[in-house]
Amino acid sequence: MNARTLRALAPLIAVALALIVPLAVSDRFLLKVFTFCGINALVVVGLALLFGYAGQVSLGHAAFMGLGAYTSAYCTVELGWPWLLGFVAAGVVAALGGLILAIPSLRLKGYYLAMATLGFGLLMSLAFIQAEPITGGVDGFSGIPFPSIGPVEFRSASSLYWLVWGAVGIAVLVAHNITSLRPGRAMRALHGSELGAQACGVDIVGVKVRTFVVSALMAGLAGALYAGVVGFISPSLFTLTASITFIAMTIVGGTSSLAGPILAAVALTLVQYSDALIPGLPRETAQTIQSYQEDIYGLAIVLIVIFAPRGLAGLWKRRSAGNEAS
Amino acid sequence: MRGRTFGWPSAVLLVVLLTALLAIAGCGDSGSEPSGDSTGAASGEPIKIGAILSLTGTYAGLGEPEKNLIEMEVKKINDAGGINGRPVEVIIEDDATDEAQAVAAASRLIEQENVVAIIGATGTGQTMAMRGDIQRAGIPQVSMAGGTVITNPVDPLVFATPWSNTIVVPFTLDYLKGQGITKIGLITDSGGFGKDGQAVFKEAAPKAGVEIVADETLNPGDTDMTAQLTKIKNSDAEAIVMWTAGSEAAIIAKNARDLGIELPIYGSHGIARQEFIDGAGEAAEGVKLAAGKVLDPSLYPEGSEARAVADDFISSYEQAYGEKPGMFPGYAYDALYLVVEAAKRVEGDLTPEALLEQIQATTGWVGIDGTYNMTAEDHNGLTVDDLQMYEISGGKFTPVQ
Repeated sequence: MNARTLRALAPLIAVALALIVPLAVSDRFLLKVFTFCGINALVVVGLALLFGYAGQVSLGHAAFMGLGAYTSAYCTVELGWPWLLGFVAAGVVAALGGLILAIPSLRLKGYYLAMATLGFGLLMSLAFIQAEPITGGVDGFSGIPFPSIGPVEFRSASSLYWLVWGAVGIAVLVAHNITSLRPGRAMRALHGSELGAQACGVDIVGVKVRTFVVSALMAGLAGALYAGVVGFISPSLFTLTASITFIAMTIVGGTSSLAGPILAAVALTLVQYSDALIPGLPRETAQTIQSYQEDIYGLAIVLIVIFAPRGLAGLWKRRSAGNEAS
Repeated sequence: MRGRTFGWPSAVLLVVLLTALLAIAGCGDSGSEPSGDSTGAASGEPIKIGAILSLTGTYAGLGEPEKNLIEMEVKKINDAGGINGRPVEVIIEDDATDEAQAVAAASRLIEQENVVAIIGATGTGQTMAMRGDIQRAGIPQVSMAGGTVITNPVDPLVFATPWSNTIVVPFTLDYLKGQGITKIGLITDSGGFGKDGQAVFKEAAPKAGVEIVADETLNPGDTDMTAQLTKIKNSDAEAIVMWTAGSEAAIIAKNARDLGIELPIYGSHGIARQEFIDGAGEAAEGVKLAAGKVLDPSLYPEGSEARAVADDFISSYEQAYGEKPGMFPGYAYDALYLVVEAAKRVEGDLTPEALLEQIQATTGWVGIDGTYNMTAEDHNGLTVDDLQMYEISGGKFTPVQ
């Protein structure tokens, strides 16, 4: 089978395999872990558009996830809205957040944009604690219902898995369409050189704003899914650490790629659940891994930046380019 | 050029393959996990109980001794034949004093380990956070946290071993009144236990004839309380009452003394542990708090069952870990044995429902905190008679009248 056929068949095989995971896994918690992988992957797809394609850094993406999670929780629990409506509201609120954050990005670049998004993330995590009437403060927001669309309730571990990975699939399709067409070229041009892109007639303002909004939207929807899957959210989920984890997944995954970051999101999420994943693993080993989790992420970033600045995706490309040459 | 050289589908394929591989590897082996070395009298399939403790984070000083105690007692239980001949396996998870991690731990224990009951959490916020998972699973939970919200209103599935704030707060207020103190500056943490205490204080203080002249809060993890204490200093408070169980309590005491505030300091039963005294150092001297009689077992009459239980608990803990236990290993002891004793009474299959029924049927059982009498309306089972006021002097908890 040559590379071209493989490439054509790959999405079909990928979807088929993703679909049968719940049939092969009987352990409900393990399935939940794979569901968490999907939720993180959804955030990372958005971040890959923003950072990997358009070159705009965001150290505050957990805030968008939090906005979405709290919005959907508030709408379904306090306002009694159907889940789907709450899910849409979560996307809208997060997208509005993205619009607000897009404004400084029009003037700021590099480190300064990183600082602005970092500040946004910190502000929002404080807001989640202080807005007690809405968020429940430090104690968190509990009793969030399972996702449901009309009469269909996603209650079982496998249905939640399919729901989340279905959302990831749709996000990947959307993102793939964006990146392979004109907006994607504009984003890459922006990544390469902002002045150059402007000189070529790229509407920089439009590209930046739209990318921020789409990226925030995906994070917000991921937050709403998390709230539904777990049934409980608290401010400690949407902190700077989470934002840095997402950016780590994106960097490790690589620029100008969607698959690389998704792969990295899955791999780095699994690090956290090593004890649930590998049955024979001694508890102490798992705890050691967990307590060094941030260090592992940090180390991964450093290694990638030094040895493979374009991430896993870059490594893959280099390898396949080598194969085709020979 | 190759155009889109990197086909995203092929990498997605890789992800999925990897995931599927891990999944298959994961479920292939599950269930064959060794159930701990129960070389004692107990044999057969172990009874799995989950324990969710704060081993890291701001409640680490509470959770660590609880873990010590549980490990020690589980060994003792299994050496003595376990529960009706079956060994006990307590699976301990760390919640890092974090609500979300407590929920994750609960769902792992329930969904992957199929535990029959959960002991925990160490903190009120974490205890409340996992309620959804407990309800979905329908298994009993015995908490080691002192928030009133845990047992009031009563959740049919949830019990707690420390005195709830509704018992300790009025006791403390009465004591303050007896000391001639009618104006207090309150400082509470915004997490579960402190927030709960604040609400109970606001309700109980007017009834006791005590006025709250300053009402300050802090967030878990804060490292400086000077601002809040300065406000209390500038009010006409006659005492500082701090209601927090975390490592922040020691900082409050130190900050207060650094600011030159000479007001007496009162704490909660959440600071009845050596870690507070060590953390606050000199500033701990003179701090008063209500706690169980186990801190000074000589308060129990000679020859009583409570005295024997307390003496045995203290000596075996000291022997194993080389330090005196504070209140927290006691909360864990009571939580563990409430479950274990109830499980022993279950006839036939050990189902969560049967276990629940037996925990609720606990009457006249002497634990470390005192004598428990559970009813359908009272899932704490302790009374104010089991409390004692202490003052820290010379680095020790000394009973005061």
